[in-house]
Amino acid sequence: MNKKDLIGIFFNHPGNGQISNINYDELKSYVSSFNFVKKVWDSDDSPLLDRSLMVSEIQKIGITRLVIVGHDTGMVKAFFNSVFKYMGLPVEDVLLADFREHGALERNDTELAKAILVCAIYNVPFEIAAKPGTSDVCADTLVIGGGISGIQASLEIADANQKVFLVEKTGTIGGHMAMFDKTFPTLDCAACILTPKMVEVGQHENIELMTYSEVQDVSGEPGNYKVKILKKARRVDISTCIGCGTCSEKCPSKAFSEFDAGTTLRKAIYIPFPQAVPNKYLIDAESCRHVQGKKCGVCVKVCPVPGCIDLDQKDEVVEITVGNIIIATGFKVFDPKRAEQFGYGKHPNVLTSLEFERLINAAGPTGGNITYRTKDKKGNWVFTTGGDVPDTVAIIHCIGSRDENYNAYCSKVCCMYSLKLAHLVKEKLPDAKVYEHYIDMRAFGKGYEEFYERIKKEGIKIIRGRTAIVESTNGKLIIKSEDVEKGKLLEKKVEMVILAVGLEPTDDAASIAKMCGIDVDGAGWMKEVNYVSDPVNTLSGGVAIAGLCQGPKDIPDSVAQASAAASRVLQNILKGKVSKGISSLTFSDIEKRARELSTIKYD
Amino acid sequence: MAQRVDPTFMKSLEKFGVKDWKDCFHCGNCTASCPLTEEDYQFPRMVIRQAQMGLKDKLKSNLDLWMCYFCGDCTKTCPREANPCEIMRSIRRFQISAYDWTGLSKKFFTSTTWELSFIIGIGVIVLALFALFLPPSPELWTNPALFLNEQGGVMINNMVESISGPQFVKIIEYGDWTMAVVVGGLLISNILNMFYLTLLKDKSLHIPFTAYFTEFWKLIFHFSTQDKLRKCDDKSYWVGHVLLMTGYTIMFVIIVGLLPKFQIEEIVPWYNWQRLLGYYATIGILVFLIPVVIGRFKKKKCKLKHSHPTDWHFIIMLGLTAISGILVHIFRITGMPIATYISYVLHLAILVPMIMIEVPFSKWSHLAYRPFAIYFAALKKAGVEKEKVEPTPAFA
Repeated sequence: MNKKDLIGIFFNHPGNGQISNINYDELKSYVSSFNFVKKVWDSDDSPLLDRSLMVSEIQKIGITRLVIVGHDTGMVKAFFNSVFKYMGLPVEDVLLADFREHGALERNDTELAKAILVCAIYNVPFEIAAKPGTSDVCADTLVIGGGISGIQASLEIADANQKVFLVEKTGTIGGHMAMFDKTFPTLDCAACILTPKMVEVGQHENIELMTYSEVQDVSGEPGNYKVKILKKARRVDISTCIGCGTCSEKCPSKAFSEFDAGTTLRKAIYIPFPQAVPNKYLIDAESCRHVQGKKCGVCVKVCPVPGCIDLDQKDEVVEITVGNIIIATGFKVFDPKRAEQFGYGKHPNVLTSLEFERLINAAGPTGGNITYRTKDKKGNWVFTTGGDVPDTVAIIHCIGSRDENYNAYCSKVCCMYSLKLAHLVKEKLPDAKVYEHYIDMRAFGKGYEEFYERIKKEGIKIIRGRTAIVESTNGKLIIKSEDVEKGKLLEKKVEMVILAVGLEPTDDAASIAKMCGIDVDGAGWMKEVNYVSDPVNTLSGGVAIAGLCQGPKDIPDSVAQASAAASRVLQNILKGKVSKGISSLTFSDIEKRARELSTIKYD
Repeated sequence: MAQRVDPTFMKSLEKFGVKDWKDCFHCGNCTASCPLTEEDYQFPRMVIRQAQMGLKDKLKSNLDLWMCYFCGDCTKTCPREANPCEIMRSIRRFQISAYDWTGLSKKFFTSTTWELSFIIGIGVIVLALFALFLPPSPELWTNPALFLNEQGGVMINNMVESISGPQFVKIIEYGDWTMAVVVGGLLISNILNMFYLTLLKDKSLHIPFTAYFTEFWKLIFHFSTQDKLRKCDDKSYWVGHVLLMTGYTIMFVIIVGLLPKFQIEEIVPWYNWQRLLGYYATIGILVFLIPVVIGRFKKKKCKLKHSHPTDWHFIIMLGLTAISGILVHIFRITGMPIATYISYVLHLAILVPMIMIEVPFSKWSHLAYRPFAIYFAALKKAGVEKEKVEPTPAFA
């Protein structure tokens, strides 16, 4: 058959309730540049498909091929199949260009949609036309972030005898998990799970640990990334510091402890927490008297190791070459000062959940006794070990989550950790009244619903209806809420309020994502290739994500994802090749390749 | 009372101004953050729930809606940005239309054409009545000086040929009385309907007879002070609203009861009661109206962000009434007979439709429904307490 191929294109818009920002008009103007595209239909213009009408239309124009493009294309394929069958044309010539298949819809990427369309027009599988090239892989791996995800990923790779650089921003690895008292739903001691892993990382021959360091720049290409790492001046020599603590004892200046979520003070020369890895001291430049230009230097004088402390040490930049990168930068908690109605920062006994985790922890400010903040002699509000014990504690859910004013998404873990905290309060103070104010209870994981049922039986009052206002009169906190199930207005006096704060991306997540060439979504979480089928890889070749930087998740999910990310990296190392990632291809590359490979001769 | 769930009901509320009714996920934030909600009256969440479920009768008998004075606290912190106060306001419009037995109110709220054509129609009737029965004397044009008194002011009651001054005032006064009777009758019948829907219909309620008298002070107190608005809003808004309310009440009393003493030929000194009360009313209306108009354009304040067509109609007519009234006054004391006659007729052609439409059927009816709702709620409470019946169970 020497007759030239002519093509018709049917644009299928998303159905009711589905949102797509793909620019259909741009696609239409693109296809109109082809002279062999004879007819363009639109599902919005003809929502009801009439077979006899379509047959006569197709016969009139002489179309031999048809592309159904858009969303849910399979839904209309049967119709066009029947049309083609009726006309005696091969149904194989009804081609699909579905935006869901290659993630164009999820990313609202019109360029990608165009590429999918052009592959369908030339009848070349998208995977073949849009196959990114590969490059050789350097076997070393960079892991950014030393929380549980970063630790897990590093250990997985290092245990497979591959070299790992683990870069951590703070003075120790461990991340948020190290701050937690217990994990839900098993109520295992968080430190008991984490610290052995931390020690393993510290001692592993294949892991080069770079704490108090930040990734400054990533250049190069997949398989061969040049990474500049800023080693911030620790001012204490890790190799010679014996961790005796004399310096810290004598140090005159204090600052709020990051590890204790600001509930205690630490010295300017400090060790983040007793189980820190590396278990070495560091100096906080902002609170150190010497660094701030005042006369000091006590630590240098008392240090038993000569030359260990160098107060004038400068930041240093090192450059490493790695083949793969795993981003595990984690999260920060929502700052409840942004939601004034809850009185955080105004009333001393309104705490964030993270502060309460420290308070209830045996290594926390009160040695694990739950007391509320009282004024000390200097007028500061502090926790004291022998302080007053609250007899009523209220936990308010969804602070900064599921709230259009702050973050519309659900932070996923707050319901469960709130239940855990309620349990811990009840465990330590059996006579205390504990109230949970929730919007919807989301006990979503293995054993979680059972945990919820268990907590319900422990005498904790679980009330549907988020608290709206936290006020204070005569030192007592008053929370106002509505019991939605009973339709009752509640105004309760409590002694302590715990705000179940939501999770947000870290401040530097966006810059790290940009360095590595990956996108972040509207909320700032990093984007994966496909949330359902490829939640670990990113559009940049050789860059995987793990843990909270992708979106809120709990510890088991983070660990699982970290292992998955490690397996992706090991895959690349074993193959010796890494895909350059679809982002290395431009639309014209794909178009050109599709034209070359195509067996259809249109012109 | 068995009720059917009607999910399509919210759709029909959309014309009253409800927009974001799907968004609410019932966290209870709005109810808890409201400064006016009490144990016995809970809103807005419960009201939104009833509306979402389409419990029409429940909403018609719901007095809680009138306890909301729209401060916007709930909308500010609503996690779903569902705008509960706007939903409350829109459902109040629905209630006004439900209290109105004639059905006109519903037409006015849901169709701008209906309301505008009625307003214009009544205005045209007023103009026609003047043209037919009280036409201006031809000498107004030929010899305007005839119509000036010795002080140089216009003799406002003598501008119609063959009708003497006292006669003219009588005619206008009879007109005022007719209007007052019609409007008052409609409003009272609507209030009675509200009484039936909210209290009488509920057969389980037995209100003690004495309660009608012991609780009556609440009606007077809340009508004259708008105390709840003071509790809920910034004070300046409340002050403005009280000024407005006292202003138009004074004007109403003057034109219905004291017209022969108010509409006189003599130009009295500025400190005489006629002029002082007139000035007070004008200032009261304008002081409140001007910031509201600015606010509704700026759309910054939660309260003034969303404007229903009926809001604008009311504001425009009240503003035009005030302006035309000021013009009558200016033209009269500066001795401009023709301008005085025209502005006087226009003043009435705006004022009459405003009162006829707005008071019994539209936005202005809240002047009666708000205090009556508080009174009825007190009666209901007395009835419930007497019976020792638990309040109607809530919808969770």
